[in-house]
Amino acid sequence: MASSLRSWIDIRSEGKWKSSRAALVLPLAPPPTIAVVDIDEFAGKLSYSMSTRHCNRLCLNQKLAILWMFLSGAIVSSSEVETSRPSDSRNSDDGKYILRSYFDRYENLDDSSFENFMAHELSPSLCQVTPENRDHGVRLSVRELSLVGEGSHRQLSSSIRLQTGAESIPELPPHKCEVIIIQRLPLGVFADPFELQNLHKRIGFRDVAVFGDTNLELPSFRSNRSAAEVHIDAGSDILFTQNSGMEINMLLPLHARYQPLDESGYSIIEIGEPDILTRCSMEGKQHKQSCLFMSPNDSGKSRTRTVEWKIPAGMKAHAGFVSVVTFITASLSTISIVYASMFWSGTKVPST
Amino acid sequence: MNSLKPGSIFLISAIFRVGLILYGEWQDAHMEVRYTDVDYLVFSDAASLMASGQSPYKRTTYRYSPLLAFLLIPNSFIAASWGKFLFSASDLFVGLFIRIILKQRKVPDHLCTYSMLIWLFNPFTFTIGTRGNCEPVVCAMILWIIICLINGNVVQAACWFGLIVHFRIYPIIYALPIILFLDPRFFQSGVKPLLCDWTSDQGKIRQINSQVTDQFDGVFSSFVLAFSSDYMDGNFYMRHCSIILLAQIQDIIFPSISTISILTMNVIFRFWKSSSPLVLVFCFAKDLVFCFFVQTVAFVAFNKVITAQYFVWFFCLLPLILPWTNMKFKWQGLCCILLWMGAQTHWLLWGYLLEFKGKNVFLQLWMASLLFQAANTFILIMLIRHHNYAPVFRQHTGLKTTQKKHE
Repeated sequence: MASSLRSWIDIRSEGKWKSSRAALVLPLAPPPTIAVVDIDEFAGKLSYSMSTRHCNRLCLNQKLAILWMFLSGAIVSSSEVETSRPSDSRNSDDGKYILRSYFDRYENLDDSSFENFMAHELSPSLCQVTPENRDHGVRLSVRELSLVGEGSHRQLSSSIRLQTGAESIPELPPHKCEVIIIQRLPLGVFADPFELQNLHKRIGFRDVAVFGDTNLELPSFRSNRSAAEVHIDAGSDILFTQNSGMEINMLLPLHARYQPLDESGYSIIEIGEPDILTRCSMEGKQHKQSCLFMSPNDSGKSRTRTVEWKIPAGMKAHAGFVSVVTFITASLSTISIVYASMFWSGTKVPST
Repeated sequence: MNSLKPGSIFLISAIFRVGLILYGEWQDAHMEVRYTDVDYLVFSDAASLMASGQSPYKRTTYRYSPLLAFLLIPNSFIAASWGKFLFSASDLFVGLFIRIILKQRKVPDHLCTYSMLIWLFNPFTFTIGTRGNCEPVVCAMILWIIICLINGNVVQAACWFGLIVHFRIYPIIYALPIILFLDPRFFQSGVKPLLCDWTSDQGKIRQINSQVTDQFDGVFSSFVLAFSSDYMDGNFYMRHCSIILLAQIQDIIFPSISTISILTMNVIFRFWKSSSPLVLVFCFAKDLVFCFFVQTVAFVAFNKVITAQYFVWFFCLLPLILPWTNMKFKWQGLCCILLWMGAQTHWLLWGYLLEFKGKNVFLQLWMASLLFQAANTFILIMLIRHHNYAPVFRQHTGLKTTQKKHE
């Protein structure tokens, strides 16, 4: 017992405990049978007193560590860290997206500036349609527009008819045409660019992209509008055939954002018809040429078809008691956990 | 159950996880609803960006450590599901570490086996790894830190702790219990600390010695300084309540409430939010694993957002505390499990009606969330009540005899 106690003392005396060695010599004097209890008891009390003295340094180190921890947390969280938003990859576009040109000029999507853009900025790119060859070219019209599905995740279904002109244009070189659908979205909904990329691989749009505010997490009142541009292959050499048509059905998945508060409990969102164009690309002698066929202006006035989407919204009348009851619940939870930790933990279950 | 050898358990778990990963690949290709988590696609995209020499943060919504993208670089040239295999392997490591920790504390074999099974065959946990979520890696690191601490490898534990806080912020909450746990009486150079072995003795009484109260004094002063700061400001739960509440009071009842009262309410809310974890830490720091567990449950329950992957944070610690609980599976344990799952299902039901059926059920959804909060609190209190507080370390044999005689 004494030797094990001594070895214990030796171990304890490494480093900070050396000063206690002298005090420990004394308990070895009494007879062994009593010493077993007395030494242990004395050693216990000694260790306690040593630990109390030592606690000053220990506690100081621990306090400093804890204080540093809290303060560093405060410093880190109080400094605003600017996360750089990844810039749109402009390199691979090659000007194929019309909306890219729009958003290069304008910061946000706005109906009047967009219509102005379509009417004036795109005119250099239009295929030359004179009164003589008015029956040439391509006409596009939206046959049907509807919302499919329920809840916050729905699909906008548009049915588009492409009709080639009454007369063919035989002198054109071989060409490929695509239909460009630009769906402007109101504030309350958004299209997920990553979902559309996946669809693009599965279903086979030629290209698809979303422009504007693509932050998926923002509520409606903190976001800006966005628009989706979809390119669908319309086939090769379609301008050689006359009066031929094709139907294009597009299902665009959309998601609702969190809506601002509303008295009625619902927010009504209106989505209008898409803008549709046809772009035909011809292999020229030196480089690829392309031009756009747009729907005639008079059809713009008749483009009043919209679909309505009713999205649930919170009600201001509830805000007061929701806050109060939440606070009371959270407080009661906290108090009960604190009480249980301090007074109920480690209680003995009577052994039967 | 005694005939199940650990080797067989691991083998079956591994085969099961590989099967789930292969099934997940099939489901992704053939069904509308994907098996793979959306986050996994984010990780993979960021990893492929990193593989081509670009920043992983060019991928929008990638908000994780660059180390995670680095780990998943082989997704680009080995297999797209490399990450899932990595996470499932971490899952198995967690099972192994659970066994190591319990064996070191001399827990009987059958309890070790049950604990391992609770982790390895828990539906919440095996789906997390096979769906491509990175939480099993975090859990494995936390358990490794616990192993380092109970073996006295403080420096190694510190390095891993630094790494894991970089990887995922939430383990920072364990810093305070670890500091309190690092008692120099147990941690001495060249000496492995002595562990308190598991015992079937039900009669343990928690001992608060004056060291704990001394430490509490020291920390409380830091706490007073801290809760007026933005520490742990990630939990905006109470703060949102305070802002909404005060805005409404201001609009409706007291138009003249000043900014000072708003700030005061903010401070009060932060105090409430911080107080329960602090008290938990001070009561249980010596029983480190239980302290981690209750802190994590409280953290998840009071957090602003909740998602199923957060449950894994405390599920990895649950098997480590079960050998020390008095709660019997029939019927207390079973009731707790059913209550927790019932409250969750009820909440998800209202969430489903709102999101997928478009009905205005915000009020019911809110009440269901309060019920879930109440269920979490109740279960936490039950676990605290029925836990045999067991400090991880004991002092050397001389002192232990003294304490036992005094009880």
